[in-house]
Amino acid sequence: MGNKMIVPFGSQHVALPEPVRFVFETENEIITNVEVDVGYVHRGIEKACQTKIGYKQVAYVVPRICGLCSISHNMAYIIAIEKLLEFEAPKRAKYLRVLAHELDRIHSHLFAMAHVAEAAGYENLVMYLFRDRELVMECLELLTGNRVQFDYGCIGGVNRDLTPEVEKELRKKLKKLEERLFWFRDVYLNDYTLNLRWKGVGVIPKEMAEKYNAAGPVARGSGVRTDARAEFDALPYRELGFEMVVYEDGDIWARNMVRMDELLISMRMIWNVLDGLPEGNYKENVKGMPKGEAVCRWEAPRGELFYHVRGDGKQILTRMRVKTPTFSNIPVLKELFIGANYADVPAIIISFDPCLSCTAR
Amino acid sequence: MSIRKKSPWILHYNCGSCNGCDIEILACTGPKYDVERFGIINKGNPKQADILVVTGPVTKRTRARLLRLYMQMPEPKVVVAVGACACTGGVFRHMYNVENGVDRYIPVDVYVPGCAARPENILKGIALALEIWEKKTKDTIEIPTVIKKEYEKIVAKMLMHGQVVDRRKIIYDLVSKYIQRKLETPKCD
Ligand code: SF4
Repeated sequence: MGNKMIVPFGSQHVALPEPVRFVFETENEIITNVEVDVGYVHRGIEKACQTKIGYKQVAYVVPRICGLCSISHNMAYIIAIEKLLEFEAPKRAKYLRVLAHELDRIHSHLFAMAHVAEAAGYENLVMYLFRDRELVMECLELLTGNRVQFDYGCIGGVNRDLTPEVEKELRKKLKKLEERLFWFRDVYLNDYTLNLRWKGVGVIPKEMAEKYNAAGPVARGSGVRTDARAEFDALPYRELGFEMVVYEDGDIWARNMVRMDELLISMRMIWNVLDGLPEGNYKENVKGMPKGEAVCRWEAPRGELFYHVRGDGKQILTRMRVKTPTFSNIPVLKELFIGANYADVPAIIISFDPCLSCTAR
Repeated sequence: MSIRKKSPWILHYNCGSCNGCDIEILACTGPKYDVERFGIINKGNPKQADILVVTGPVTKRTRARLLRLYMQMPEPKVVVAVGACACTGGVFRHMYNVENGVDRYIPVDVYVPGCAARPENILKGIALALEIWEKKTKDTIEIPTVIKKEYEKIVAKMLMHGQVVDRRKIIYDLVSKYIQRKLETPKCD
């Protein structure tokens, strides 16, 4: 029997970008029990969407659930509503949606990878990643007009077209970015320090990931083949060369490599979109009121996002439910901590890339 | 004091934001915008911070933490509210778990608008906060010139006589004498 100690971690902590609170019970630096409190940032968005905001405006409120994957929320909601209205977006709009969404995934993954590098104490790499992340942010700004809250998709298509001048700029920036991505991949694969810090730490076996129903890069890093994009037919992913990335190791390193390889796949899809963008309208008028029930599964950068909407033919929806990826990852995170070393805690938490404002809404 | 003047440390707290403004604050510390060239470092410790940067509309559960962080910071302190929702509540205004802005609980010195606030705007907000901070510093620790001159004279004299100089004691004596004199002189209005 060693020293029993209770260590609070959060809600405000240097290694944490967001308010979440963990209370660890440790014994000789080994964690024996943990409690998680995720509800600090609960704002009541779902309730407001059901009581006072019209269904067209909701498309611009749901992105404010989370800034990092704002476009995922926006589009998942829009696709769910389009299903209710029995409308199919024009082909050009679909391609543009994929373009914006994949750019957003790149920026989110780069951000997550920068955080993991920071937890390993690799300050240089953080700064490099942040510098190249600015390239994506500039691309997104050119395409959508804003840096974080894009509000790009709307019911019936997208809000802005891709003009030839913007396309030229995008190509220039993306080319630069792609070179850098290969360099990063090299660093993540071969760097001695990073491998030492990450390999074999925080291992999630495949059975555990399946049992606790993990999502996103966490699950794919443990060898579970789950990606909503593979079974999604509202957007032309397969046509654009989508491929699932799966690693078997299940440790922090594998999760990072999943993110890294997904960046390259996203890059490929973006090139395909830019090369094969069809002509036509980018937006069409939609008539009617949402009546009935619909769901949408969407692959956000952190995993599977799920929207359920129900309307009864009025302006205001009767039910809107969001299930976010981080929420499904919390149980496995909790299980993983028991028996881990306390010094690994920040690295493990951050390798999950938790998004608490999504979870609490 | 001069060290703090040149490199103020910021404390960032997210009280219910959507992370949009938080990632823009982090982007500010990155190489493109680079607040660190002004000596600004983002630290997680309230006891060492000079500028409190708040994002988010203040939910009912974070407000106690926000107040506690604010209380723990040493004087003088400056508060910067970043983002539309920290200023007024933004899109979240009047949602049931939201308190409509930071300034209902703690005094805010600089408001940075925008949803999400642009890094350029955040930089400008922090620069303004620095100005305010300097002003507040002067207000709180201004030493009258009379005392400064007297202090220099005494120290010079003691050094000439080869005595050990206890600077702290000298200042203490001078200030208490000064205060007594101030209290004794009748006001002339
Ligand atoms: S102002 Fe907008 S982007 Fe910033 S935290 Fe609030 S909702 Fe998010």
